[in-house]
Amino acid sequence: MKTIMNRMKQWGAVAAALLGLIAFSASTSQALTAEVSPREVEITMSYHGAKLTISGQSAASDDLVLKISTEPRDTAMKRYGKAAGLVWMKNGTLEFKGVPGVYLLNTTADLQRILDDASLAEYRLGYEALGKAVSIEDLKGEPVDHDKWFDQFIRLKEKEAIYGIKEGTITRQHGENGNTFKIVVDWPYQAQPGTYKVELLAVNSGKVVDTAATSFEVKRVGTAAALSKMALEQSLLYGIMAVIVAVVAGFAVGAIFKKGGGAH
Amino acid sequence: MYMYLPIALTSVNYLVVVGLGLAVGLLSGLFGVGGGFLMTPLLMMIGIPPTIAAATDANQIVAASASGCFSHWRLGNVDAKMGILLTLGGFAGGAVGVQIIKILRAAGGADFLIKMTYVLMLGGVGSFMFFESLAALKKNKQAPAAKAAAAAPAKKGGFLSSLPLQTHFEKSGITQSAIVPLVLGVFVGVLAAIMGVGGGFIMVPVMIYLLRMPMHVVVGTGLFQVLFTCIEVTILQAHQNHTVDFFLALLLLIGSVFGAQIGTALGKKLHGDQLKILLAMIVLAVTVKIVLELVLEPSLLLAYAGGH
Repeated sequence: MKTIMNRMKQWGAVAAALLGLIAFSASTSQALTAEVSPREVEITMSYHGAKLTISGQSAASDDLVLKISTEPRDTAMKRYGKAAGLVWMKNGTLEFKGVPGVYLLNTTADLQRILDDASLAEYRLGYEALGKAVSIEDLKGEPVDHDKWFDQFIRLKEKEAIYGIKEGTITRQHGENGNTFKIVVDWPYQAQPGTYKVELLAVNSGKVVDTAATSFEVKRVGTAAALSKMALEQSLLYGIMAVIVAVVAGFAVGAIFKKGGGAH
Repeated sequence: MYMYLPIALTSVNYLVVVGLGLAVGLLSGLFGVGGGFLMTPLLMMIGIPPTIAAATDANQIVAASASGCFSHWRLGNVDAKMGILLTLGGFAGGAVGVQIIKILRAAGGADFLIKMTYVLMLGGVGSFMFFESLAALKKNKQAPAAKAAAAAPAKKGGFLSSLPLQTHFEKSGITQSAIVPLVLGVFVGVLAAIMGVGGGFIMVPVMIYLLRMPMHVVVGTGLFQVLFTCIEVTILQAHQNHTVDFFLALLLLIGSVFGAQIGTALGKKLHGDQLKILLAMIVLAVTVKIVLELVLEPSLLLAYAGGH
């Protein structure tokens, strides 16, 4: 319930309208819940991504949409263009305003089929809806072909596995424990340390009828954390250490090879 | 199999990275170049952000060149006097080059100019070395002794010998004004800073053709100069930009220090002209790759900022 209330605050005006619907769905079936496990993803030296299990309960008649994302932020990217009409070069900078750092969607069915356009836009579900909420500016003030560059942006992010839409991936069970759902998400190692929000939407007749939210954190621990801290806070020492290790390693191996008779 | 890089913020297969280090280290030991012009794009291909690829590569080159330099020193192939003069010139030139690039950037259109200079420079140096060493190899087959004798004596007389500070460079077997390597060092430093590379592939031909040093001393002295340049670059990058990933450097250098040894041992078995023609072919291959990148439309038209 606490998580539901948090969600409410974020959507201000929408909240009032939703309250009625939540009360409705809660009274007719069961409350929507979402839990993510683990709550903390630890980046150790051998980290190569993680498995996130998100599970909970929902009404049997509702479809589900699960969104993992960050708060929208502004990102500057270099763009390629033809320089002097001849060669391809990075010759401009585009600022993408209001894009999430990660955008992973999982659903029980096709988004277009279960939600109407207004709802897709309101909750920024699907790349088309997300694209409409994002503005792209050229730093030199040149006009921007929004659709072309947003498409390029999505392709880059999908290549890095930090954006993705997977429809029909949430599995559900109807049994003694009520109506439950579960999904295992492959969390990409490319996603940076930080806090990620998990939003679960219950959908019925084209509309969002209930929401639940939770979050999890990705952070560096142990050596990985200590090293990145040192690189930032004691950067000079860090640089000197890196050089000393390199020189010593180089000389040591040189000496070993000499002993081994590699040189005459 | 995988290791997470806490600065680059990505995970890599460590066998691949050690393998890259080994391959590029081998080139260092063979030719006396840092190999940054090969390593940085390779690192970007495995998902390392461009700024971190370039800075961490400098750290790796410190290890490879220390390893190669150590062995070449024992073989008597390092002209320290020459190396120090070239390095000092290179530092000064690097500082000038950074300023020039700031002015060019402010004026606009600089990147196009830089890219073109890079391609022409690589292509020019590569072609010249290729044809020169090809001709030398042909001649060599007929009269190996005559070639060795002809290459050794430095040009006497003229403007260069009238300069002050005439110094005998024992290891290289040449007498030259100390001003000449200093000025050439500045020249290479400026170019390297503008192109965003270490400059080994320009320094080596400069030593061969302008200073007329013997090929094996060129390799040892090249490594000496690269070692000091990359120590400076690593510390500066770590301190000012926080772009050195120590774990990545460690993986690379595990490969490169051994690669440099293998390269040095292999180099002993090869004739100077054979080394030159091999280096020329690599430089030309890199040129072709860059030209193709410039001409063909990239599959993705967006990229993260940084790199060259």
